[in-house]
Amino acid sequence: MTTVPPAAAPAEVTEIDTSARWPLLLLLGSALLWLVFSGILALVNFIQLHTPGFLADCSVFTYGRSSAMQEAAFIYGWAANAGLAVALWLLARLGGSPLRSLNWVVAGTLFWNFAITLGLIGIATGDMTSNGWLHLPSYVLPIMLVAYGTIAVPGVLAWTGRRKEMTFAAQWYAVAALFLFPWLFSVAQMLLVFAPGRGVLQAIVAGWFVQGAWTLWLAPLALAAAYYLVPKITGRVIPSYDFAQLSFWTLLFVGAWTGGRHLIGGPVPAWVATIAVVSCALLLFHYLVVAVNLRGAFCSGGSTILKFVGFGLMSYVVGGFIDAATAMRGVAAHTQFTFFSEGQSQLALQGAFSMMIYGAIYFLAPRLTGRSWPSGALIRAHYAAAVTGTVVLVLSLLVAGFVQGRDLNDAAIPFAKLAGFYRPWLLAATAGQGILLIGNLLLATHLLWLACPKAVNPAAFSPAPTMEASVS
Amino acid sequence: MKNGFTFFLGLFLALGLAWAGIVLGSNAQLGHLAPYFDENEGKAFPERMAGIAARGQLVYQDLGCAACHTQQVRRPDFGSDKARGWGDRQSVARDYVSQAQVQLGESRIGQDLANFGARPLAVDADRLTQYLYEPHGGMPSYRFLFTERKVTGERSAKALKFATPSGFETVPTHRAEALVAYLQSLNNVYEYPEAKPVEPAPKEGEHK
Repeated sequence: MTTVPPAAAPAEVTEIDTSARWPLLLLLGSALLWLVFSGILALVNFIQLHTPGFLADCSVFTYGRSSAMQEAAFIYGWAANAGLAVALWLLARLGGSPLRSLNWVVAGTLFWNFAITLGLIGIATGDMTSNGWLHLPSYVLPIMLVAYGTIAVPGVLAWTGRRKEMTFAAQWYAVAALFLFPWLFSVAQMLLVFAPGRGVLQAIVAGWFVQGAWTLWLAPLALAAAYYLVPKITGRVIPSYDFAQLSFWTLLFVGAWTGGRHLIGGPVPAWVATIAVVSCALLLFHYLVVAVNLRGAFCSGGSTILKFVGFGLMSYVVGGFIDAATAMRGVAAHTQFTFFSEGQSQLALQGAFSMMIYGAIYFLAPRLTGRSWPSGALIRAHYAAAVTGTVVLVLSLLVAGFVQGRDLNDAAIPFAKLAGFYRPWLLAATAGQGILLIGNLLLATHLLWLACPKAVNPAAFSPAPTMEASVS
Repeated sequence: MKNGFTFFLGLFLALGLAWAGIVLGSNAQLGHLAPYFDENEGKAFPERMAGIAARGQLVYQDLGCAACHTQQVRRPDFGSDKARGWGDRQSVARDYVSQAQVQLGESRIGQDLANFGARPLAVDADRLTQYLYEPHGGMPSYRFLFTERKVTGERSAKALKFATPSGFETVPTHRAEALVAYLQSLNNVYEYPEAKPVEPAPKEGEHK
């Protein structure tokens, strides 16, 4: 095992990048479209939370449906497409040869996005199922499974056909994410949708799937990006590769056991929740190692990419500690069923996952296209919007959840009055979501500009000397 | 990590262990849970849902009501569920064995509905139907579950009782009726042996 990141190629853009240009840009482009779409839906949802009458007469936008659509568009639209693009590219770069079978990626991406579109139409028109992170109607799930498999094929080939025997942490995380999701997804489909378990078993399986999808799929995708980018950009090695390995296996072996963390006090066997509490505490080791190993990201030295990754890592680690704290029964009694949980999931999805993946996109898109980002100002603006939006959104949701939990536990306060007390914080969260949406629009426009410069501004195209988005 | 085989074995073991532990483990414990037959009453609890209520559960599911409402009562010393009148005892796994789609919910933007059928609002079907039509505080109106139509002949008995333009009436659709029937059916009052309320132990020096 080596601790040295792969040496930078003499030419920044190699055949590895150019051969994968269009398939991966297709993945990234669809990811950003979904991101913007889910951002718009999220804005609608937040407005509905403080002004319930907003679009209420339209069955498509009733809160239950539009929040399910938002979640599906974010997870399966944005996170899956972007995460897969990053994972495939990393595996090709670190494997040392161009991706093979790229036609599979194109076909898979088209089917995947077709399935999600169909799924969202299904949710909007009344075919929604009732499981967290799996609201999509039953008829699109098998298509998604097959499409995911075909997109992942070149990644697997890049791993098995890699030129170097030794492997890097980024590769472990990427391969784990590529491999484990189809298993998780197919088991969850079977036990929740096609042959649902009896009674509360459904809730237990749903908890296992949601936590599994986070710890075995989305978090590894983001960490793969971070483990590649930090040593690559800082030029410094990962301080402890042995611990990196230990922390990787801790996440994988312990992660899915945290599934019962939302079921504390619920009508399920007490051990389900107890194991989740213990697992959340065990995972702290993983978070600590990630923080120590990738601390290079916290002193960005002017690289905007590292700033994105650094913010993402900070959110990831802080989120892990908050999860462990709220998994304890005494704390859960105050935070359960409130906006606090929503704040935690936004911290993970927007703060940790998305920020690290933005960093990766800023790194790999110029290499794929062979051009540098057209505007440093746009990158800085996106960074500012992403950080401000995430901080405002997450903090206001956490405070809203705190207020809501405190009042909810005080039976002397009538239930109808509760909403009035946390409403101001939901207004703030709406503003945060609005800022995030602006940032994401900037990124989407910028990527379009990069990929087809003439479509956006014919005069702006000029080959720039460096690939780095290191404007600070 | 040089050995690809060991690596993959590790990956599958990681997923497989969690699956075996959580999914198989709880299935072993709960998979055979059957309704409880009460010999005195001569029937089993929880009772099977009526057909219209089962259809209403599908409406509840496809509108995503679980995004705001939970259906689980926690024990009296954990949260204020009992104090708020949401249920006298904590929910237990057996309460859900006859439900096709269990919707415990994770958010209490709205009230808990585990025992909603027992509340005054739910007892009167007409009142509950009207409630779904009108916005109430945090809950928006669900007008798309109703149709406004011209009165032909006699006014429908189901028509909502408020002023509509003369010659017109607002009636609930089948979906609204099913949803109301489902909401009325939500009532877990039967005390299973395992569902005896756990009362918080009196503090030292305190008399019950």
